[in-house]
Amino acid sequence: MRGARVIRRPLVAIPLSVLLLIVSGAAVASFPRSVLAFLLFQGAILFIYLAAMPGYLRAALLAVALLVMMPIIGAYNVYYLEIATQVGIFAALALGLNIVVGLAGLLDLGYVAFFAVGAYSWAIFGSPHANQIFGGGFPLAPGWFYLFIFVGLAVAALAGVLLGLPVLRLHGDYLAIVTLGFGEVIRVLANNLDKPINFTNGPKGITPINRPPVPFGLPYAEYSYFLVLLIVLVVIVVNRRLEDSHIGRAWEAIREDQVAAQAMGVPLVRAKLLAFACGASFAGVMGVVFAAKQVFINPESFTFLESIGVLAMVILGGMGSIPGAVLGATIVTVLNLQVLKGLSLWLNELKNAGVVILGYPLADLPTQLEPAKYERMIFGVILVVMMIFRPQGFLPARRRQREIEVTAEEHKTVTV
Amino acid sequence: MLFAAKGITKRFGGLTAVKDVDFTLEGGIAAIIGPNGAGKTTLFNVFTGLYTPDGGEVKLDEHSLIGLRPDEITALGVCRTFQNIRLFKAMTAIENVLVGMHARVELGLWDVLARGPRFRAVEGEAWRTARTLLERVGLGRQLHTEARHLPYGDQRRLELARALASKPRLLLLDEPTAGMTGSEARQLMGLLRGFVADSGLGIVLIEHNMRVVMEVSDRVTVLDHGEKIAEGTPREVQTNARVIEAYLGRRGAHSAAP
Amino acid sequence: MDVELLIGILPQVVIDGLILGFMYALIALGYTMVYGVLEFINFAHSEVFIFGAFVGVEIMLGLKSAGVLERFPWILVLVVVLLAGMLASALLAFTIERVAYRPLRHAPRLIPLISAIGVSFFLQDVIRLTESIWRNAFNLVYPTIESLNVRLEITETIDVSIKSLVVIVAALLMLWALHALVNRTKVGTAIRAVAEDQAAASLMGINVNRIISLTFVIGGAMGGAAGVLFGVQYGLINPYTGFIPGLKAFTAAVLGGIGNIPGAMLGGLVLGLLEAFAASYLSLLTGGAFGAEYKDIFAFSILILILIFRPKGLLGEVVRERA
Repeated sequence: MRGARVIRRPLVAIPLSVLLLIVSGAAVASFPRSVLAFLLFQGAILFIYLAAMPGYLRAALLAVALLVMMPIIGAYNVYYLEIATQVGIFAALALGLNIVVGLAGLLDLGYVAFFAVGAYSWAIFGSPHANQIFGGGFPLAPGWFYLFIFVGLAVAALAGVLLGLPVLRLHGDYLAIVTLGFGEVIRVLANNLDKPINFTNGPKGITPINRPPVPFGLPYAEYSYFLVLLIVLVVIVVNRRLEDSHIGRAWEAIREDQVAAQAMGVPLVRAKLLAFACGASFAGVMGVVFAAKQVFINPESFTFLESIGVLAMVILGGMGSIPGAVLGATIVTVLNLQVLKGLSLWLNELKNAGVVILGYPLADLPTQLEPAKYERMIFGVILVVMMIFRPQGFLPARRRQREIEVTAEEHKTVTV
Repeated sequence: MLFAAKGITKRFGGLTAVKDVDFTLEGGIAAIIGPNGAGKTTLFNVFTGLYTPDGGEVKLDEHSLIGLRPDEITALGVCRTFQNIRLFKAMTAIENVLVGMHARVELGLWDVLARGPRFRAVEGEAWRTARTLLERVGLGRQLHTEARHLPYGDQRRLELARALASKPRLLLLDEPTAGMTGSEARQLMGLLRGFVADSGLGIVLIEHNMRVVMEVSDRVTVLDHGEKIAEGTPREVQTNARVIEAYLGRRGAHSAAP
Repeated sequence: MDVELLIGILPQVVIDGLILGFMYALIALGYTMVYGVLEFINFAHSEVFIFGAFVGVEIMLGLKSAGVLERFPWILVLVVVLLAGMLASALLAFTIERVAYRPLRHAPRLIPLISAIGVSFFLQDVIRLTESIWRNAFNLVYPTIESLNVRLEITETIDVSIKSLVVIVAALLMLWALHALVNRTKVGTAIRAVAEDQAAASLMGINVNRIISLTFVIGGAMGGAAGVLFGVQYGLINPYTGFIPGLKAFTAAVLGGIGNIPGAMLGGLVLGLLEAFAASYLSLLTGGAFGAEYKDIFAFSILILILIFRPKGLLGEVVRERA
């Protein structure tokens, strides 16, 4: 393919990257409501990631895009910033699930439960709701939010261990079903633990949840974008370090052949528990951030559908692949938030405008037909099609030479 | 005594796969031979903790291995290869060997996350050792080849290197020369002798290639129908009447096919 | 605590539990047969089940709008709807296997499982889309047939509707037919042979692919029947209704010993009864602190406990162990 070759030639790729970035930035600035313009901007970022260029240049371009351009775009249109923040939240979730499913090969279908655990931990204490349990003294001051990031991490990791201890001995398929059951249990608890003691306020949810104090007088939307971006970066670094260590290798070995892994000295249950706890802790952290960002949470945000959505992100990008998880999170979130919703709006506009296609007035379309509601179809198609035609995903995990003491000569043989 | 198994019995439903077998090793290379289905691999599975025996005792340096998990047994110093080659196929050769070192890595989660000098030192050393091991078994050029892309003979050698990476005191090899040519097999045996001489490690082979067995082993144990029918030096076993019957009587071949 | 009340409602609880149990049993067969042959959880089976319910409701609504629903004898209507639901679900199950599972048969285990989850989600929304276009609604209610709603009084406090009896009888008939098929026919023998050892079965001249398809068809038909009966019994269906009963039916299959056909029936009944007890008594026993909403948690807890302490289920694993 021509395009693939262009991307491999630095002399073409570098100017093209810069150009794309400028053009897409200009496009977003001139058409602040256009979905396509924003997609172009995202495409530019992906291009920079894939194109052949020196590492420092890539880092610099990405920094310009994410740290400078994105906030500026957001200042014109908060909606884009909101999408970028959502993408970040889901990227962190996908990266967490990627450890469990992609690296260790354990199919966890109740992953969003850990997200819920994190979210509820801040929601309860960061809102007046805790007064109903403890009598008074709440909400905690906004500054506590930063401590709760670690509380969310710890509580979710603990939940991961508690779930993992009994179930990680199970055979793969059973593990999938049991984690699914666990996810449902957490959701049912969230829905019903408004009595005998009101922990979760049931289906009504909890609000208002305190937001963290914002430094430098930033607008809150900009601040949450930067916070999420920072957490995603930390998660990526942690993921990398785990992956390139004896721990990550043990996970991959378990995924490949767990009998052999154990025979080579890998303690199965402990290694799997660690995978579960790591994955869960990322979700826990993002749960806390999510609760503060949304101000309001209820059990609807933590359904099986969300778990499968995150799974679809991991699958789309490529199991075991860190950039894949980020790409998957971007595509799926944008599909859900922009493309499907955009289609719905567009269809409505066409209906209202009385457009007729092939003699069929669109106004006669059934009112129940709302493209925005078809997330499941998207997830389903992604899962099936990817499994059949591209099980390794769009950005497959690369066999990097993870040697720390790589010699310069070997460095050249690494395919970019 | 390095390794001693006494009265090992293993049943599957109504079938007794191994019956009251004793096996000891002080060092050097021992071979376990016998017709297909004699219980050789079952015995290995008992030694490495994959199966819990219905009776008997297994000891490494007077330390009982019964009831320990396979990874604990590996940590104590018994490692193995598999008859049907069980590499981590999507991982590179050197990564396979690094997994073999898992039990010897003394790094915690914090070391990994902090990636400080200690991590770099340990990890760097691990890579160097792994590379040396691979070079020694003749895979120095395939360090970064995914295991599944290696030819069959190389896969067997990689499995050997992976097992050696756990620094075993006792190495159990299940048909290590299967699928190799005569000269490859001889080369491998030379290598094994080298390891024994260097590190005083004990090796037990399950092997069908009689030439290999007779050349390399210090002692030979013969199983048939789950029972030990003979034991001794290669020469003693070769002339044992029950062994000849077990092989010739039923299989009609001198050196059984691999 | 009102002990008299607790005992008083017991027979009603048992009847409810049996109906639920038979429903689970019928659905569980689809999971267990496929697992027996392929060692694979057919995640999309819950949609195969609900698809049967939708085909059923469409036929009944069609008859109703033609004004003939009450004019035909109810037995005839029920048999026709049941057969149509079975046929449709069987076809769907067959297609799913061909399109989404067969190309993945030799892939690592995780791959077909993920594909199955995808099919499940995809089908939910396809049903929704179709009904939204066709009827501008996807929450559909089975039209009532008056003679089916007649309630027979057993004692003063306990009664049972004709449709509940019909559901039980129909389920029993189908379970019996399946049992006979698997154990007394040549096809059944072939199914068991493939479950035991695919390679050996193909050497014996059995067309393994055809038998696997057949397993999906039979399991699908049972699921479709369960779907129609579910609609007749409970009335309201939507494209997402199948999911939870599917999950519970899978629990039932595991409870009875996955791969084991009588086990699925037993597991279904046990789970149905337990759930009915939980739904009725949890609230009473805890003074209203924990209500019927917890019955799902109860069912999943059973699943987890069984898997941990008795992973082979009540009757043991796999079709072959029961000659």
